[in-house]
Amino acid sequence: MGDSSDEEYLGTDWLPYSARSEWADVEPLAQDDGTNPVVSIAYSQMFREVFDYMRAVIARGEKSQRALDLTTDALRLNPANYTVWQYRRDILRELKADLNAELDYLSEVIGQNAKNYQVWHHRRVIVEMLNDPSNELELTENALVNDGDAKNYHAWQHRQWAIRTFNLYDDELNFVDRLISEDQRNNSAWNQRFFVIKHFGFSPDLIQRELTYTMNRIRIIKNNESAWNYLVGVMRQGGKGQGLSSYPEVVAFVEEIYQAGNRSPYLLAFLVDLYQEQALNQKVSQSDQLARKVYGLCEELSTKHDVIRRKYWQYVATHLKNQLSKAAEQQQEQQH
Amino acid sequence: MSHHIDMEDHAEPEPVLLSKHAKNLLRFLNLLPARMASHDNTRSTIVFFAVCGLDVLNSLHLVPPQQRQDIIDWIYGGLVVPRDNEKNCGGFMGCRAMVPKTEDAALLECMRKYQWGHLAMTYTSIAVLVTLGDDLSRLDRRSIVDGVAAVQKAEGSFGACIDGSEDDMRFVYCAAAICHMLDYWGDVDKEAMYQFIMRSLRYDYGFSQELEGEAHGGTTFCALAALHLSGQLKRLDADTVERMKRWLIFRQMDGFQGRPNKPVDTCYSFWIGASLCILDGFELTDYAKNREYILSTQDKLIGGFAKWPQATPDPFHTYLGLCGLAFTGEPGLSAVNPSLNMSMAACVHLKHLHEQWHSRNGRGDDDTGLSSAAQQHLKLAKEPEAMTTATTTSTSPLIQAQ
Repeated sequence: MGDSSDEEYLGTDWLPYSARSEWADVEPLAQDDGTNPVVSIAYSQMFREVFDYMRAVIARGEKSQRALDLTTDALRLNPANYTVWQYRRDILRELKADLNAELDYLSEVIGQNAKNYQVWHHRRVIVEMLNDPSNELELTENALVNDGDAKNYHAWQHRQWAIRTFNLYDDELNFVDRLISEDQRNNSAWNQRFFVIKHFGFSPDLIQRELTYTMNRIRIIKNNESAWNYLVGVMRQGGKGQGLSSYPEVVAFVEEIYQAGNRSPYLLAFLVDLYQEQALNQKVSQSDQLARKVYGLCEELSTKHDVIRRKYWQYVATHLKNQLSKAAEQQQEQQH
Repeated sequence: MSHHIDMEDHAEPEPVLLSKHAKNLLRFLNLLPARMASHDNTRSTIVFFAVCGLDVLNSLHLVPPQQRQDIIDWIYGGLVVPRDNEKNCGGFMGCRAMVPKTEDAALLECMRKYQWGHLAMTYTSIAVLVTLGDDLSRLDRRSIVDGVAAVQKAEGSFGACIDGSEDDMRFVYCAAAICHMLDYWGDVDKEAMYQFIMRSLRYDYGFSQELEGEAHGGTTFCALAALHLSGQLKRLDADTVERMKRWLIFRQMDGFQGRPNKPVDTCYSFWIGASLCILDGFELTDYAKNREYILSTQDKLIGGFAKWPQATPDPFHTYLGLCGLAFTGEPGLSAVNPSLNMSMAACVHLKHLHEQWHSRNGRGDDDTGLSSAAQQHLKLAKEPEAMTTATTTSTSPLIQAQ
């Protein structure tokens, strides 16, 4: 909930609308905030005036170049005013304005308001109207890479939309790989990777390639939840009946780093899930040893390696106990 | 400072400065500084944070009766009721930027084309009215829910308003909260809503804002609460629920983060905390660490909570910080309904309203179109049954919470 004001932008040489001869024909319209308003904002003189003229223009239904310029001022002062953005679009349509100029304007506005919903929505609508996504990858790359926030949710969302809508998947894996290389903990980039691979289809070959890629990443940074989540996410794409046990090379890899002494909670959580899955798929008589492995890991996690989640790991152990005893009861019932 | 006092500081947990938070929130109900002009469109959410925050602080009595009435009247002043020949844009506006002070009928008429209800403002407006004990009699439930149905997209998602809005999980949540609070779903397509929500479940079992975006704490709350409020939470299978709990539980660092490998932020003590409450897993978190983090963002001078330690407090983080603490049973705070994000006391009032509507309408919504004579007849004939209906067939979490 940041505060923002673009009054400085409008500058010191800004001339009030009431002093502009070309606006002399317009009677500004004050806001009607009721008799006893609450959460009143002490609008600046400039804000008040710009919106008084904005209301007057909308109430006249005027869609002109000067009305368009007025929306530019109003949106500088409050880029979250979704109605003014909509009115701006209505003007652009009416004037059959140059939408490429609108894109240039928006690139600048997005540069300054990269976390504002309305500016990205406006961008999306204009790109749809133009039916031309050729600037969108560069725009979002600027927001994600060059300007610094590689996890900007809006930029990723816009990028996905452009890729999905205009089929721009081809080079995306290179982009994603670059971002993961720059920061292996960039969860947004891992998510984008999943989005791209899913589009190409999780064939057995592709699954294999992704597992290898991810294991190589985990070898470098073991305590990275994003990579572990991706690993498990890919393993579960193999279809029904394809559990964690279906990939012996991954199991061997994980057990190897455990043997080597690593105790990352994400690694231990993987083993908990693996042994739990195996225990539940065994005959009850053979599940005991696996269950004990799970209980041991949960104990390790809750007392040493993931103490903040101690109640959770105790719950996981209890949950498995309950599931196994229920399975045992069912088996006994079947025998009777 | 003496060594003795230092020792005491460490022994005693830091107190929640209840009265400072109340004073802080009260200030926001009055005049806001010019630098907050970029919040002009969401003024009713500021009212929501302040009023519901005071309620959670058991401090609503600090709002004088006249101001309470002013709040209610101001909220109703944002109600948009479309005429028959107009678009279904019913609901509440969050500000008055599109309401001109003029007697000129032609200007007022033209302006109507740009006055639309907004789902987030409608949700927060109704929540404020309920919290202040209003009986909602000044609003037409059908017109509002027609407005909700009108912004539902073919793929099940919702926009915020009839024109010019993005659609995503935030407004799915608002739609579900509005329909639940009004106890009426009209033409809202719950099945399509469910399909959209489930298509946005990611490989790590958090929910994204839309489709294949990154899983996020805020949107995961929106998704789970919408499933809960629409009575569809039980459609999730047991394995899925356990995996969701895992994703949520892993968000705790000391406070909570919104995504893996992101910094913690006070507001996620609510978004993640409430999500875990909905899935019945909140007690698995570390209360002390959570509390410690939230309190590290407490402003000891002017009250309020910020997103990070040393950052400036604001009503959003103040309210959500208080709710996050309320989930841990913090003394001095009243219980919060996680799905509706308002106090249990307000929810009890809402439930009474639902019962009144049911008994007035016989069997409820199906009969809203009946003549008053027929309704009277039904009321006489069916009152006992209607009361039972109201308390047993609802999928309301309010009832489960009793």
